[in-house]
Amino acid sequence: MLFAQILVNGVLLGGLYGLMALGMALVWGVLNIVNLAHGALIMLGGYAVYFLFTGAGIDPFAALPMAMTGMFCFGYLLQRLLLNLIVRSALLNTLLISFGLDVVLTYVAQWAFTADFRAINPSYAGANITLAGITVPLARLAAFAVALLLAGLLWLLLNRTRLGRAIRATAQNLVAARLYGVEPRQLYAVTFGIGAALAGAAGGLYGVVAQITPYVGTSLTAKSFVIAIIGGLDNPLSVVLGGLVIGIAESAASLYLGPTYADVISFGLLVLILVARPARSLRMA
Amino acid sequence: MNAKLLEIEGLSAGYGAVPVLRGIALHVAAGEIVTLVGSNGAGKTTLLRAISRTLASRGRIRFDGRDLGALSPEAVFALGLVQVPEGRQLFARMSVEENLQMGAYLRRDAAGIARSFERVYRLFPVLFERRRQKAGSLSGGEQQMCAMGRALMAAPRLLVVDEMSLGLAPVVVDQLLGVLAEIRGEGVTILLVEQDVFAAFSVADRGYVLETGRIVREGKVSELAADPEVRRAYLGVAEAG
Ligand SMILES: Nc1ncnc2c1ncn2[C@@H]1O[C@H](COP(=O)(O)OP(=O)(O)OP(=O)(O)O)[C@@H](O)[C@H]1O
Ligand SMILES: [Mg+2]
Repeated sequence: MLFAQILVNGVLLGGLYGLMALGMALVWGVLNIVNLAHGALIMLGGYAVYFLFTGAGIDPFAALPMAMTGMFCFGYLLQRLLLNLIVRSALLNTLLISFGLDVVLTYVAQWAFTADFRAINPSYAGANITLAGITVPLARLAAFAVALLLAGLLWLLLNRTRLGRAIRATAQNLVAARLYGVEPRQLYAVTFGIGAALAGAAGGLYGVVAQITPYVGTSLTAKSFVIAIIGGLDNPLSVVLGGLVIGIAESAASLYLGPTYADVISFGLLVLILVARPARSLRMA
Repeated sequence: MNAKLLEIEGLSAGYGAVPVLRGIALHVAAGEIVTLVGSNGAGKTTLLRAISRTLASRGRIRFDGRDLGALSPEAVFALGLVQVPEGRQLFARMSVEENLQMGAYLRRDAAGIARSFERVYRLFPVLFERRRQKAGSLSGGEQQMCAMGRALMAAPRLLVVDEMSLGLAPVVVDQLLGVLAEIRGEGVTILLVEQDVFAAFSVADRGYVLETGRIVREGKVSELAADPEVRRAYLGVAEAG
């Protein structure tokens, strides 16, 4: 029974982790940018939903589409005005620029929102259902469902629409995509916008199940990175599976080793992956 | 013959300070199959890059009477000047069908796209059989067919094929040459770049011979095939006596 509870906790958490990694994997695969500011985008999405909830009284789940729209525009402009300079350039350039962006976003968030912990607490935040002795927190269940829904929508977008086809084609063969009329700058900006919107949604859900500070980005970037490597860059559904792996491992670790060890899992895996498969992990695209 | 669809005069181009093409003059009339032959490094692909405007050049390139000098590669493509690039450049992890759809990326006429699909599957029945298969898992010949099919999906007026026969078995090359003739029969003009001069001459009306960046011979393929110099250098025929 304890094992089943760990599994349920891990799966619910892992779905959200998968959603966090989706945007990172998408941007990495198509633009060849390992975006170290991805966690900061998640953090911004969290604040957006937080203020929509506390300031305007909008239910956090209803606020998600608004936060996603805002984050899409932000991501689109960021790519258009800044990151297009480093698309498909050397790995070091993309790491440096996105690290700089991470620092700036974190600093701005700290200045604008203060370093206080913020949690999004709708009336149903503490509600549970109990099934066969297993406790399922409703908010986490809803967050999990939304994460799966968004992963499914991304899969549909990539595999069933003209835009998605162009995104995948550009990721696979830029020369040929251009030859057949794909305008890469525009496409890159849209792709980064989608990645930012997904990060925004993940941030809003994260705020419902955990707490947001200006500094959460770093550890969320690391988690997303590990999950993107486990799940691969091609298929959103396998990214979600990667998220489940990390979620279950973390929930087992926090029970058997103590809650402080939860973070050690993803960082430990990160180190292991970098040692064991450095080439694959850094040049996957 | 018909009006000139592609007309090139005094074209020079190169990479950085290194000149590759010098004073090229070449034309393709509507409805023709014209071949451009030459050995490795002669500058054939470079000439195609200049035509598709992915490489800057001096001189004049006109397509259907319009000057291409100031146009972007996308704009040239949109005029109906479509390339099958050297090395095929397929989207390896996408299905055959999706590769074909990418050829029609800029088209919005659903009915026209459906007709193009029919035409491509009629010309290359094997692509229809393998339409759900990943392009990267096709044989070399099938990949070339997929690349040509993708170009046809763009509804080209001038189809430019670079090194169609490279690495393919003679029987496959023959089949592709047959398809080229068929495509021309449907009103598409063709510029075929080949190292396999024998194959190219078997299907083309006229040809140009490019050597180290200059056109050294041009004419009907029957005349070129009879030219002792061409026979010796490109057809591997030793003149008797
Ligand atoms: N991107 C490039 N940068 C610099 N030089 C290049 C580049 N591409 C080709 N060249 C040079 O330009 C010359 C012509 O090359 P090009 O590819 O046009 O020849 P080709 O006739 O197509 O040969 P092949 O039959 O081998 O395809 C060669 O000397 C080549 O080394
Ligand atoms: Mg070439």
